[in-house]
Amino acid sequence: MIASKHILGTFDEALASLRNNVLMMAGLTERSLERAIKGLHERDDNLCVTAIADDEEIDQLEKQIDKDGVDVLLRFQPVASDLRRVISAMKVSPNIERVGDQATNIARRARKLNRHPPLPEIDIIVPIHTHAMSMFKDSIDAFAREDADLAREVVARDTALDKMNKMANRQLTQCMADDHTALRGYLNLIFVSRCLERVGDHATNIAEDAVYVAAAEDIRHLTVSALT
Amino acid sequence: MGNLVMTPPEGTVMERVEQQVERPPAAEALPAFTFQVKNLSVWYGAKRAIENVTMDIVSNAVTAIIGPSGCGKSTFLRALNRMHELVSRTRLDGKILLHGDDLYASSIDPAIIRRRVGMIFQKSNPFPTMSIGENVVVGLRLNGVRDRKFLNERLEKSLRMAALWDEVKDDLDKPGTSLSGGQQQRLCIARALAVEPEVVLMDEPCSALDPIATAKIEELITELKSKYTIVTVTHNMQQAGRISDYTAFFYLGRLIEFGPTTKIFTNPSERQTEDYITGRFG
Repeated sequence: MIASKHILGTFDEALASLRNNVLMMAGLTERSLERAIKGLHERDDNLCVTAIADDEEIDQLEKQIDKDGVDVLLRFQPVASDLRRVISAMKVSPNIERVGDQATNIARRARKLNRHPPLPEIDIIVPIHTHAMSMFKDSIDAFAREDADLAREVVARDTALDKMNKMANRQLTQCMADDHTALRGYLNLIFVSRCLERVGDHATNIAEDAVYVAAAEDIRHLTVSALT
Repeated sequence: MGNLVMTPPEGTVMERVEQQVERPPAAEALPAFTFQVKNLSVWYGAKRAIENVTMDIVSNAVTAIIGPSGCGKSTFLRALNRMHELVSRTRLDGKILLHGDDLYASSIDPAIIRRRVGMIFQKSNPFPTMSIGENVVVGLRLNGVRDRKFLNERLEKSLRMAALWDEVKDDLDKPGTSLSGGQQQRLCIARALAVEPEVVLMDEPCSALDPIATAKIEELITELKSKYTIVTVTHNMQQAGRISDYTAFFYLGRLIEFGPTTKIFTNPSERQTEDYITGRFG
């Protein structure tokens, strides 16, 4: 997305390294989230443990991005779109890290669920996962390609995810009322749904930063109608 | 054991914060303009250095002019007090109004204009044969002021405004050239302020100074804008970002973009501005 070369080649290298680390962090987080959900559906503890272990690398990348970002600000004092690129990389990485935390949380809940007989209501999670994952992937795409239109679309999709989560809560609460023997299992599914809803919130934050990079607009705390 | 129960302070947090915060007076809705430049073009012989520039310079604010070497920024600055006329074969087209007065009207004396619009140059230039004190009041003396008490008062006032008084008050009889580079530059600022101009123009005032002397001049510029309109040319992007309220970007004699500094340095409208300030030029 960076059109022409900087007169300092070292600046281009530093900025590219910063952005590559963000994208690598996003890739690892996406894989961790997939592993956690797969571990949940396939009742595979090993996958869950791997997802939990992935988090350390993601955390380290977050610290590296902060360090590199401060370094770029200090050495090159970037302005305009370059400044927005550095600032947004430093703002996006904590949100990716929090998505990684949600993957860990899901993996932990999955391990608890795996100790008990399977619950058919686990299917309630499938569309929520699909929706949250597409929001996360698209938010990262929008950030990488500096695509403000895609980013705005991601932000608008969060309302649907919130509704799906509420609906799941209602269904699972009813299950708890109907079947007292699997209270813990249903509670864990409620938590998983909640974690995915939070993934959507972080994707929204990332998308908002993507709009800031691409269009220098701050769209945080706007209503959906004001966005469109 | 002492009494560990603490009494909560009275009032809400917001109320207590409000009591401690000093709020600046509300800004005026519409800025007043010191200069109104209309369709300005300047030629050196056959070469056009400035091409059809139109911009309004806001009063009591710092306007930074940036651009690559040879883009016309110094010529533009010099046109604001007719200093460019000191170069032979110059020609000017368009209008510059200073508080509504046409700078180039035939009835206007350039010397009067240069008194109303002071100028600081890249290299400090105190008069080498004069003392520090004489350097400051030389403009007033040339204008026929002889009252010693008045001159002394103006000397102290100008040196104080230039943040130099405390450093030189005991050495006013020493040569101006005995001061350090940063002090000499502030002496030149004091000399410009002594004739009480309306505007101070600065042509890369810090480019020959070390970081500490630069910081002092920058701080001074920020303080002076409450009394003067300041237009400064700088090659230092960070300096423009720090000290100016408005920034104008010139390229090849044309004004490419002009606006609030925050806007120019975070989200410029023109691609050429973006390329120049981010270091992707050419």
